Amino acid sequence: MELQLRLALSSNSDEGFDLNNRNQEQQVEDCRLMKKKRCFDETFGEIENVQVPQTLPLLDHIDLCVPGYGRNECDEEDGVVGWPPINSWRKRVCHQAHHDNRRGCITTNYVTVKNGGGGGGSGGGRSKSMHIKVKMEGVGIARKVDLSRHHSYQTLTDTLSAMFGDEKVQAYKLTYQDKEGDWLLAGDMPWGTFINSVQRLKLLRNGY
Amino acid sequence: MAQSFPEDVLEHVFSFLNYDKDRNAVSLVCKSWYEIERLCRRRIFIGNCYAVSPEIVIRRFPDVRAVELKGKPHFADFNLVPEGWGGYVYPWIVSLARAYPWLEEIKLKRMVVTDESLELISKSFKNFKVLVLLSCEGFTTDGLASIAANCRNLRELDLGESEVEDLSGHWLSHFPDNCTSLVSLNISCLGSEVSFCALERLVARCPNLKTLRLNRAVPLEKLPNLLCRAPQLVELGTGAYSAEIQSDIFSNLAEAFLGCKQLKGLSGFWDVVPAYLPAMYSVCSRITSLNLSYATAQNPELVHFVSQCSNLQRLWVLDYIEDAGLEALAASCKDLHELRVFPSDPFDAEANVSLTEQGLVAVSEGCPKLQSVLYFCRQMSNAALVAIARSRPNMIRFRLCIIEPRAPDYLTLEPLDTGFGAIVENCKELRRLSMSGLLTDRVFEYIGTHAKKLEMLSIAFAGDSDLGLHHVLSGCESLRKLEIRDCPFGDKALLANATKLETMRSLWMSSCSVSFGACKLLGQKMPRLNVEVINERGPPDSGPESCPVEKLYVYRTIAGPRVDMPGFVWTMDEQVSSSLSRVTERRGD
Repeated sequence: MELQLRLALSSNSDEGFDLNNRNQEQQVEDCRLMKKKRCFDETFGEIENVQVPQTLPLLDHIDLCVPGYGRNECDEEDGVVGWPPINSWRKRVCHQAHHDNRRGCITTNYVTVKNGGGGGGSGGGRSKSMHIKVKMEGVGIARKVDLSRHHSYQTLTDTLSAMFGDEKVQAYKLTYQDKEGDWLLAGDMPWGTFINSVQRLKLLRNGY
Repeated sequence: MAQSFPEDVLEHVFSFLNYDKDRNAVSLVCKSWYEIERLCRRRIFIGNCYAVSPEIVIRRFPDVRAVELKGKPHFADFNLVPEGWGGYVYPWIVSLARAYPWLEEIKLKRMVVTDESLELISKSFKNFKVLVLLSCEGFTTDGLASIAANCRNLRELDLGESEVEDLSGHWLSHFPDNCTSLVSLNISCLGSEVSFCALERLVARCPNLKTLRLNRAVPLEKLPNLLCRAPQLVELGTGAYSAEIQSDIFSNLAEAFLGCKQLKGLSGFWDVVPAYLPAMYSVCSRITSLNLSYATAQNPELVHFVSQCSNLQRLWVLDYIEDAGLEALAASCKDLHELRVFPSDPFDAEANVSLTEQGLVAVSEGCPKLQSVLYFCRQMSNAALVAIARSRPNMIRFRLCIIEPRAPDYLTLEPLDTGFGAIVENCKELRRLSMSGLLTDRVFEYIGTHAKKLEMLSIAFAGDSDLGLHHVLSGCESLRKLEIRDCPFGDKALLANATKLETMRSLWMSSCSVSFGACKLLGQKMPRLNVEVINERGPPDSGPESCPVEKLYVYRTIAGPRVDMPGFVWTMDEQVSSSLSRVTERRGD
């Protein structure tokens, strides 16, 4: 399955487009691809050193793009611009809430991701599970993985393969953000050290 | 017949007409009614600031007291309109200042407002009373200081959800000591602290203060100080609703709320500490409007608080309320008119809360007056939508956002055409609709057939072909605003329905398949439309004519093409071909 930068998680290649319009569709696709690619080039220029601007994943209102481009093209964590349709005020509340959650802030109590089972789920304090956000470059919407259920990079990679597709995960490299906000290549550290410092995960295309 | 009443009698009759629609209708009866009406119209509403020029407005209406203007397209709220696009209010203020020295009210939405504009407002209108800035930007607290200092009779200052550059909290101290006229103050969007002493004194000396919305920086411990000085408040927006758990803070708060016998609306609640929610229990039964959409409280405290408000008419809340909370709401708040449920974790495909379509179904079934819905969720079914449509034929505004684009009915994996079709078929008074999920051209056929009162439609990631757009443009008789993103709509439907666009306020299409050639054609054929192409990557003619434009904004206007466009916006009119080739020559292409 070759890489397609699409605006949805699932592949909807057979939506019944008029064949006569196929060329136009391709052009639209090309134009969108170009736009996204340029965005990544501008913001991921230093990817070789796996140094990504610290503010990239979390904060809005930081202009990551070259002047002349739309102000906030890249601020929704590389996802689809303007989707879901919530304004910047609400986005700030969401980001703030997750920031607080990760710092273990006690003024708020958060629901952790339900793993399909029933039950209350809400309540004060943090549970033992360790849900970390995983983003794959080029995919609009992030997923979450419970690191407490893993004890090695191998099992983690297996889970990610199940989530995103095996071929994709093989072709990408796994990076993570540590407590200091730096982005590092996963696998260099012993698993225990990794688990203690990982804040979020990101799958980046090879070749940068 | 028109001469049988003297002018002042007609003028007196017209003074009872407050709706623009009615005033516009009487203006069309005959020339003398037009003349009488225009001389006595005091309020004007301009839904698109580029649809008309200040000069034209002033020429027709010589004695206006209240002006309302809207600037950027609605999708600007979601960062789809690039910065620098336009919507500058300054030229309007300059003209209004010259023409209407007795202007009392200015209300702006999605406009760029500078400190210069604010200063000019504060100095030009001696009887200025009301300034409302919703989702505006471009000004600082210095501009607010001018307003505070110079508007002697200021009644209302509402900063909405504007982006204000916070230079200092001292602007509030510029309200003179003899300013006692404030009725409404909303500073909730300000980031930094205002001088609390100044605020306290201001609140204390304004006996008619009915609405007070504080910003996050006002600490909870200080809230009682304000409430005690303004027990007549009808609407309160708290600051941060958090403090360390201390019994004296709690009792002060509870006592202060006890004194607020008129309180009907609550908002704010940033950083909420649930333990402090019960301090408000004494006012809950009178509350009709509750905005908890910034409150990260969860069940059971959240639903317990909401259920106390048995007279609730409007609830804005985060999805922490969950299905269970909405079921409780449906049981306890039978007067509910409006429900908005916002996502706490919008950028995650996986749910962090147990909120599904069931919550909305429950509220639709349990609340007979429910007419306005905005709902973010992660799964929906046709069955649920049909149930909602059948329960609530009185629905007027229905906005559903399923977080994943193109998500099908999660039970049957079919498109949600049937569900939304049921909504438009049953809810005959529907004026506003936003759709999401997997949708084919069929849903647009339903909309074109049934949604005869629909005025505003928002579409994203939907449809198969131009037929979809054609159904909407040809069928929706009342359509005023259409905004579309990421749909496979192209040239055919647009060009076939060009005249329809003159009956609407505006059309927005981004990431669709409308070609540059079609935009040019539309602009050339329809002189009373401004056809604006937004292309940030470069001039639209740098590729073939068949290449789709990035964004298209079409609106009717009697003011001609606008003159304040930034470099990435092009107007399509007769001059467009020659002016574009001049540009490319200059750039040495």
